[in-house]
Formats: sequence, C-alpha cells, structure tokens
Amino acid sequence: MTSGGLEAGGQIPGFIVKKIEKEVYEIFIGPQHPGSGHMRIIVRLDGDIIVEADPDIGYVHRTMEKLSEVREWLKPIPLLERMTIIDACNVTLPYVNALEKLMDKKPSTRASYLRVLLCEINRVASHLYGMGIFGVFIGHSTMYMWAFGDREVFLELAEALTGARLTHTYPIPGGVRRDMPQELPGMARRAVRYMRRRLEEYRKIFVDNPVIVKRLSGVGVISKSRAVELGIVGPNLRASGVKYDVRIAEPYEVYGELDFEIPVFEEGDALARTWVRVEEIKQSLNIIEQAVNWLETHKGEPVIAKEDFDKLPKLHKEVYEREGRVKFVPAHATMKIPAGKAVARGEMGRGEIFYYVESDGGITPYRVRVVTPSARNAIVFKHVVPGHTLMDLPAIYGSIDYFPPESDR
Amino acid sequence: MILDPILYLIAYPPLWQVLILGFLGSLAVAMVAIWFERKAAARVQRRIGPYWASPALGGFLNIIADMVRYVLQQLIIPGTVDRLTFYVAPIAAFIVSILPVIFIPLSSRPEFWPVASMDYSLLIALALSTLPPLLIIAAGWSSNNKFAVIGSMRESYVITAYELVAVVSILSASAATLTFNLVHIVDAQQPFKWLIILNPIAFLAAVLAVLMSTSAFPFEIPESEHEVVAGPYTEYSGALYAFNMGGAYVRRFVYALIIALVFLGGWAPYVPGPGPITGYVIPSIIVVLKALIIVLFISFLRAVYGRYRLDQALGAAWRLAIPLAIVGFGWSLLLAYIGVFH
Amino acid sequence: MNSERIVEEVKNVLGGLAREIAWRKGYLEVLVEATNIIEAAGKLKSMGLDHVKSVTAVDYPKESKIRVTYHASSYSREDLMGFIVGLSVDLPRDNPEMPSLVSVWDGSVEFQEREVYEFFGVTFKGHPDLRPLLLIRELAEKRVLRKDFVVKEESIYEGVPFKYD
Repeated sequence: MTSGGLEAGGQIPGFIVKKIEKEVYEIFIGPQHPGSGHMRIIVRLDGDIIVEADPDIGYVHRTMEKLSEVREWLKPIPLLERMTIIDACNVTLPYVNALEKLMDKKPSTRASYLRVLLCEINRVASHLYGMGIFGVFIGHSTMYMWAFGDREVFLELAEALTGARLTHTYPIPGGVRRDMPQELPGMARRAVRYMRRRLEEYRKIFVDNPVIVKRLSGVGVISKSRAVELGIVGPNLRASGVKYDVRIAEPYEVYGELDFEIPVFEEGDALARTWVRVEEIKQSLNIIEQAVNWLETHKGEPVIAKEDFDKLPKLHKEVYEREGRVKFVPAHATMKIPAGKAVARGEMGRGEIFYYVESDGGITPYRVRVVTPSARNAIVFKHVVPGHTLMDLPAIYGSIDYFPPESDR
Repeated sequence: MILDPILYLIAYPPLWQVLILGFLGSLAVAMVAIWFERKAAARVQRRIGPYWASPALGGFLNIIADMVRYVLQQLIIPGTVDRLTFYVAPIAAFIVSILPVIFIPLSSRPEFWPVASMDYSLLIALALSTLPPLLIIAAGWSSNNKFAVIGSMRESYVITAYELVAVVSILSASAATLTFNLVHIVDAQQPFKWLIILNPIAFLAAVLAVLMSTSAFPFEIPESEHEVVAGPYTEYSGALYAFNMGGAYVRRFVYALIIALVFLGGWAPYVPGPGPITGYVIPSIIVVLKALIIVLFISFLRAVYGRYRLDQALGAAWRLAIPLAIVGFGWSLLLAYIGVFH
Repeated sequence: MNSERIVEEVKNVLGGLAREIAWRKGYLEVLVEATNIIEAAGKLKSMGLDHVKSVTAVDYPKESKIRVTYHASSYSREDLMGFIVGLSVDLPRDNPEMPSLVSVWDGSVEFQEREVYEFFGVTFKGHPDLRPLLLIRELAEKRVLRKDFVVKEESIYEGVPFKYD
C-alpha cells in the first residue's frame, strides 16, 4: 500500500487508518502486553509524557448481567463470583443480601459471623494479590513472590472453611453452606500471627524500600475533591483522605458489632494507596481473630435461618448434624422471590460493590445490575494518568489495583 | 611444516584471549551469573529456582538447556524490519562487547599478554566498552516497532547518564598511579594497596555506572517489561535474542574485569612467576574470581530493588554519580600528590 | 439521619420536580421528567449527593419504557453515606434519549453512561465521548440487555443425534 493511497483515504483490510496529531506517538498497551492485563490502554505520548490515555476495556466481558436474567435465583451466585474469583465471598455477598432484602429474611447470627470471617480472609488474599501484581509491575519480583506465597496461607484457610480455594459459593439467602470445621480457629490464629510477622518484612523490603518510595511518592496523585468527583472506591478513595467504607457507612452482616478501624491517608498518591492496603490487612487480621473467637464460644446455632432449618426434612437435618453441611431440598433451586427492587452494597478488597436486583415474582431475576469497584476505578486511567511519564503508568495501574475481569463483568 | 602457521594462529595471543577467555570465559561467567541470579532470587523469594534439570548441581544444567533452546528456536523475522541492521546489530554488539578483552592483561608477564604493548590498555578497553550501546540503539531502531524505538530512546538517555561516570571513575585509577597501563596499575597496587580501600568513592561510582550501562536493577529501564515489553529487543527471537541478552552479561563481565584490575588489585597479592601455570593460570583465575564477585553482586540486586523511573535514574546519575566520580578523581589526584603508589 | 428526614430533605431540595418519591429496598427512588433531570441532579448534588454508584437501566417492554436510575450517594456528608438516592427517569423505548449527567456528576457517570448506551441504546445528549465501552460495535447495535434480545441456551447435546439404539 503506497502512502498516497492512505492519504486518499485508502484502507488496509483489518486496519483503521486515522490521522494523529503531529509529534504525538500513539502506542497500544495491551491486550497482549506484559503490563496490561486483559485490557488495552491506548496511550498517546508527547516525548515521554502521556497526553491522553484511553482505557479500552471489555476484553473479558462475560455478560454476567444478561446471564443472571436467565438463571434461577441461586444460580447467579457461582456465576457472579467468577468476576473476581480472588475475592469470591465479598463479590457475591451483596447479591445474597439483596435477595434477603427482597425475601425479608435475616441470616442467623452464626451465619453472619461465618460470612464476615470468609470475607476478611478474602480481603487479605485480595490485597496480597494486588500488592504482588503491583510489585512485579514496578520491577520488584520479590514482593510478587512473597505476596503470592503468603496468599496461599489464606487460600488454605478459605479451603478449610468452605472446601474450595477460590470459588467458594459460600453465602446463600438466609445463611451459609457449611459450618466451621473444628480445627479452623487454630489455623486462623496461626495464619494471623504469621501474617503480622510477614507484614513487617514487607515493610522492610517493599514499602520502605528507598527505590520504591522514590518511584511511588507523588505519582498518580488524586486529590480529595477529585476522588469524590470521579467516584472512585476502596483503598484508592481512602488514600485520598475520604473516610468511606461500606462496612462503616452502612454496616451489613455483623460489621457493626466488630471492633476495627478504617485506615485513611491524605496524600492520595501511589504510595499512600499501598499503605492503605497494608493497614487494611492488619485490620482484617483483627477481624478474623474476633470472628473466630465469637464462633468458638457461640456454638449450636444453625448456619441457615431458623425458619429454613425447621422446614428441612429429617434426612437433611441428619446430614447437617453429621457433617455441618447444608443440604438443600430441590425446591430451593426454583424458589420464587416476591416482586420488588432492592439495592445492596458491600466492601470488597478493591472497594465498594453495588447490586441492583429487581424481581417480578418469577423464578429468575428480572434484572441484575452489578457495579464492581474496578469498573468504577477504570475512570482513573482516563483522568489521572495523563501528565505522567510512560514509566508511571504501571505504577498507577498497579497502585489502583485494577482487575480487568472484575471491571468487565 | 604446514602446521606451524595453524598452530601460530591458534596460539596467537589476541585470538587466544578473545576466543578462550573472551568468548568461552564470558559465556561460562554469564551462565554462572544467570544461574546465580535465578538461584539467589529464588532463595530470597522462598522458592527453589532451577532444580529438576540436575538436582545434584542445583539445576545448573537448566541454563545450558535454555541456551540450547534459544539456539534451536525458530527465528521469527517480522516483515517490516530493516533486515540488514536487524541481523547485524545484535551480533556486532555481542562481538564488540567482547573486544575490550584483548586489552585486558591477566598476568604481569609480557609473554602472556594478548597484545605486545599494554601502554594505553585502560584507555582502549574503556573506549571499546562504550561502543555496544550504539548497536543496541540500531537494533531497536531497525525493528520498526514502537516499543523498540521507545526502548532505544531510553537506552540513549541512559548512555548520557553513565558514560561520563564510568570513564571518570575508572580513569581516576590512572590519576592515582600516573599510568594508563593496566599492568602497571595492578603492580602499583601490590600487595594490598588496592584502590577500593584507598579510593572507595571512585569504586562506588564505577559500580553505579556498570549497573546503569548493563541495565541491571534498579536501572533496568530500557528493557522495562511493563511499559516497553522488551525494549530494543521486542521483535527479536531465538538466537538473535540470545545474542542480545548474552551481550548484556558479557558487557557486565568485561566491566567487572576492568574494575577487578583497577580497583580490586587484579592478581594482587599474588606475584606471577615463570611458566604458564604460575604465570597465567593462577593470576587469571584470581582476576576472574574477583570479577565474578562483582557480577554476582550486581545480579543479586534484582531480588532487592524495583526499578527507578527514567528521570529519577538520570537524576541519580547527574546529581549523585557524576559528583561522586569527580570527587573520586580528585581523591586520586590527592593520592598521587602524596605519592602512595611511588 | 433517619429515613424520614432524608425524604424531607430530598423533597425540600427538589421542590416540584419530583413526580414520585418512594422507598424501595435499600434506596429512595425519586422519579423526575427527562427534561428536568439536569436541574434535579444539580440540586441533589448541591445537597451533598456527590457521586453516582450506578447508572442502572431496566427495560420494561410491556409498558414500552426504559427506566434509567442514577443511584447517587455521598462521600462528603457523613450522615448521607448510609443512604442511596435513585434519581429515575422514564424514557420511551423506541427512541430513548436523555441529557447526559456528566456535566453534573463528572467522572463517576462517564463510563457507566457509555455502558447504558451500548446495552440499551439510550442516547445521552451532551456526553463528551459516547461510544461502546465493553462491547464491540456490532454487538452493541443489538442492544443486548433489552428484553427482546433473548439468550439462546445451548444444550451440551446440541447437534448430537437423538438415537438410543
């Protein structure tokens, strides 16, 4: 193809020909790029400075909202947790909460504590995952390996509790699927002790590493007012000085009864976002301890709502007594939920997740709308990245802990 | 005798030094360095690293298997590259990286020098060691790939940062010993008047320069994977990629050899005697071991540091390393004025 | 702040703009006309509802309308953090068109309006960059989240001859 043909508006098949401003260098980072994840960022560079960044997401869109409309009420739970399998309980719990709101059902207190326990285990694992990816993005392979290695501890804890490392499908309307095994409290306490020691080592090698500090401080600064305008969520919001956490703003489950703090930093840069994650891991460890203590001292309550438990046939009750596992009657799968609209939200590791569930009284949801934290953080690429150098892009990407499968749904 | 010219060719010292020490030696050192880099990083990161290829050797054969794979791998040449430069640049860069070895003596006995005169060896070795980055830039430019071009640009920025530091800090040895002859520089340091002890500032600056020039952590900027994929080498595959990567290790080794001679006292405290064993083998092993220590130290940094941003690396070079090198040079002048080496 | 007070406040702020105010499960739904929505959103924002959590669209083919709801909440007012106010507007199904609220709520609605655009075909007038976000253009033209786009579920035995002998 000659250049004359291009200027005349000729097209190479499969290529889009368009004019670019002079002295602007357009590069496509992703989707096959070591630093992009399952997405593409179209970056326009002037020298080494990014003048425009356009996040092109949707490469792993799995039509969750549409598919939920053709599944019976319980079946979207294992579907939706595929959005963020590293944070599976947190991502499905608000959906279950929304169903409970529609059904006017309260989970038993024991079930609530078990949910909170798993949520916090997930949160620690999710933060470790994020910090690991962040580490390798800015060239720190040790952080990557350490975080992924230590995440294994919490995956095993989740496995002991639910039977699955990642896709737990643990909460169900009115309760959870199985009770805590005998050995879990000991395991959890060991894991908490271990992680507290390791956090100190993380601080030495990563968060206080002079190269990392220099690389991150002052990068990707989001001021408090800008963070509010962009509507970003989670650790990124709290690093900008907004004290907002759904666990405090609208306590769900038993978060109102637990003793924990919300770490808030004022700087709003990549380093502050990292620090928020480290501090949140500490708080989650506290919550895990409290939840385990409560669960150990309050035995005997069923893990599903009382009225559901009473309705179970004898065989199912026996299975529950013997194995601590809730076996459902088949009617559960095709249950109907009263018509209505409900909204529920929860705090995932990456931030706030929002569900809108509408029922028309049928056996499937009429509409499920889910807005994940990464979907709301994606706006950062467009509005915060420009003005930084190309080498800051991985630092910002990693520090907002963006997770494409979660964003694309 | 017809064999005589052939024997002469084989035993011709420059060829000998380039082929045996330069190529095979640096290949062996590169393998040890890569192996150590992976093993040490694995130890820090609570992994095992290479293992199954040869459990008894700690997985060392894995590196050889890797090299065989690189050589046998399909060589993919994109249709849009500038072919001649694309082929020639990495190979030329590799060869030019080895060239300084010709001017590096491994013994004080003239019969084992690769060239007859060592009078300006330090200057020539340094001058040759500054050539390969130009070929790397050519390799990136010929790839006709945006990431490669950005990587090349970064390489060229980094050159401006480290070149001056490397030259000034290493030449501070000449300022102290009043000679460009590497043999005299080493002999002046006998037995323990090593410049690393007498002038640690220049040594520090020299190591910083080596870190930058061979894109070791925390200055792994031209190949920074998460922005520019593999920088200048993005379009390379197979053996040509191996040349590119091997070239970096060879350059690191050559710099380490120069530093070992200049700052770590070369073969000191050993005094080479007559005969090939005491005159060549033992002193060369001492020098290579000292160089290896530097190479392994540089490799180990991968496990500790992330990478600096480009502007921060340039800032570190211009604000920290160049003043350090100049102070080191001044310190050497002071040493010469006092007359430590004479 | 309790739920009655917030209804009071929303009523005061919106004045006559609200056609209907009612509590749903978990949020307060405020229905306004499409022509008034920028004004209403501006008033809600000045009240302290400074960001939007979700731009939710629901298709009602029987009533031939699409309801777009902006679920807004607050980061800056602590007493509002626990509440979500849904600012809703009903649009005709055949030509859904409404003004974009990017001018009011900025980045928090920018991508989500693009999402509603691609899934439901709602055109947001005044949006700075209205194009599909997640889908490719060909798929976005099918308005996949509308109810008349039916997902055909494939059986795992699809195409396998139905014979037992």
